[in-house]
Amino acid sequence: MSRTARNIGAMTTTGGRVKTKLTKSGDMIAYSEGAVRNNHAVVEYCRTSMSALSGGTAGILGLTGFYGFGFYVFAVVGLWALLLLKAGSQWKKYFVNRRSLLTSGFIGGLFTYILFWTFLYGMVHVY
Amino acid sequence: MTELLLDSQIRVWVFLPIVVITFLSGILRHYVAVLLASQKKVELQQVQDSQAMIRARLLRENGKFLPKQSFLMRRHFFNDENTGYFKTQKRPPAATNPMTDPSVMTEMLKGNVTNVLPMIVIGGWINWVFSGFVTTKVPFPLTLRFKPMLQRGIELLSLDAAWVSSASWYFLNVFGLRSIYTLVLGENNAADQAKHMQDQMSGAAMAMPPDPKAAFKAEWEALEICEHQWALANAENELMGLVASEAQD
Amino acid sequence: MRNDKTGNMAPYDVNLTWQEVRDIFRTWREEKERRSREVVDMWLLTLKPMAHKLGDERFLVLEQVCLAALDCHNLEVADACMITIGRAFPKSLRAHRLLAMRCEAVGDKENAIFHLEYILNEDKTNVAARKRLIAMHKSVGNTTKAISELNEYLKSFMSDQEAWQELCDLYLLHHEFSRAAFCMEELLLSSPHNHLYHERFAEIKYTQGGADNMELAKAHFCQAAKLNPNNLRALFGVLQSANNLAQSAKVPSKKKEYVKLSAWASKHIQDLYQVAGENPVSAIESMFGQMQLTSP
Repeated sequence: MSRTARNIGAMTTTGGRVKTKLTKSGDMIAYSEGAVRNNHAVVEYCRTSMSALSGGTAGILGLTGFYGFGFYVFAVVGLWALLLLKAGSQWKKYFVNRRSLLTSGFIGGLFTYILFWTFLYGMVHVY
Repeated sequence: MTELLLDSQIRVWVFLPIVVITFLSGILRHYVAVLLASQKKVELQQVQDSQAMIRARLLRENGKFLPKQSFLMRRHFFNDENTGYFKTQKRPPAATNPMTDPSVMTEMLKGNVTNVLPMIVIGGWINWVFSGFVTTKVPFPLTLRFKPMLQRGIELLSLDAAWVSSASWYFLNVFGLRSIYTLVLGENNAADQAKHMQDQMSGAAMAMPPDPKAAFKAEWEALEICEHQWALANAENELMGLVASEAQD
Repeated sequence: MRNDKTGNMAPYDVNLTWQEVRDIFRTWREEKERRSREVVDMWLLTLKPMAHKLGDERFLVLEQVCLAALDCHNLEVADACMITIGRAFPKSLRAHRLLAMRCEAVGDKENAIFHLEYILNEDKTNVAARKRLIAMHKSVGNTTKAISELNEYLKSFMSDQEAWQELCDLYLLHHEFSRAAFCMEELLLSSPHNHLYHERFAEIKYTQGGADNMELAKAHFCQAAKLNPNNLRALFGVLQSANNLAQSAKVPSKKKEYVKLSAWASKHIQDLYQVAGENPVSAIESMFGQMQLTSP
């Protein structure tokens, strides 16, 4: 997670293009498009690492069936919680939407997870 | 039937090599693609079209900040029946026949060389060298429908669907490793920053949809139904309200 | 976080290793910071002996140093960089652009124009060269020519913000306010959250005068002040335009609104001055006294 920490620290709110979102109270909040994209890329990086590592863990532990998938969901939610913890109460500054932080890339990460899970499970438990 | 014992030599000589070969060939393919990548020549016409599209989109999104007069004037420029940009610009249909345009053909060839060809070649080679092994077992139960997908190359009716053959293990790797490549290769952009001495900073928007005519039509429609509602009509009250509420905090 | 390292280091640290210098150069390149003197100094002192270790990044650094050296009129360094780049990429237009800039740096405008036109001949979509040519027309004082060229350019590159901004300035030089306003509108479209654009647009409209324009100016001044509550210039704009409108308003209810806005703005301006701890309050008050309207 050390990488996450460093990168959220370096997140910028400046930048050229601007993206907006309307809040409930009718105020306009402006987001810098470049910074949002950068944050998204950093989160994507964390997610892939998380999928690979948790897949490896599940394989070594020898989880099978629903336990394995449950572990993936647990890892995704855990990463989400850690990200929000890191962003703190200021998460609105860094991310447009809290829920999309949880759900985006769920399926793509699942593929990586299954690959690593199968790989290490095969290495350790099948033979 | 579930307790199938595999020779651990299979692990060392089949299971691992497939992973390593797939991964390394992916890396290699990336660098070959970097080598073969050529500078695309941009036509002035294309630039103009793409920039017009951007401008029209901005007008749609942010037009509410302009006075009505100015908004209508700009929309007239794009959409007027007789003189509008989207109506008068006649572009040849973009679906150029690849056989007549050599540059399109080389592009296609390069795409094939770097993407499709290695997959077929290496896939075929792996199928040939490592044919007929049962390599591993997925750690979750699967229905029989997955059998042809996961057990390519071994026709055993009684084998449980969770077992994976060597050829299928290769394909699993190809798909699963994609995001790992971005993890590994996306990091050091210095590698593909080298070709930049040749290219120009030709503006942000070079990408143009393949068919300008259809894109123009879509944008024309979107702009046509776009209503102008001035966002600043109430600006002074908002200003007074905003600053007053801040003072209270 | 990154800026801690690069910010405020006017007399820079001599003990930096070449890796650190490389990283600093990289950030400056990405953020387009213009610290020419420091770049040249650091290059000569630290990075130059290690240039071969930079790999492919070497040419990017060389270009950066070359531009910086031209900025400082250090032709020796610039030429050295240019020769290396020219050898590596004899046909590159981007390298050719450096040549044109060198000609400009020594004041040889004819040759510079020649080089730029060569680049344009090779590649019609070369934005940098076209803009440079226009700037050259401007620098010799031929603004009419610059305006017509810029218009031609904007026909093809119509979402180029910089160019619209430049055209706006040029029109203002010629006192063509309605055209300048058009350019400002274009900028507003591309970034409606920039308070400076709103302020500028409002100023142009204010200068044009007339009831409608004044109304528009007031709205945009308000928007600018809303986007950045500390924008004093915009607040003064609100005040002035509101006063102006109140004077010419026919309908009493309208007039009341304007007076209210003007009173609000003047109060807010005073508050801002007080917060800043300045004490021209008395001066301002007297100024307000002169401008203030006697409410009916």
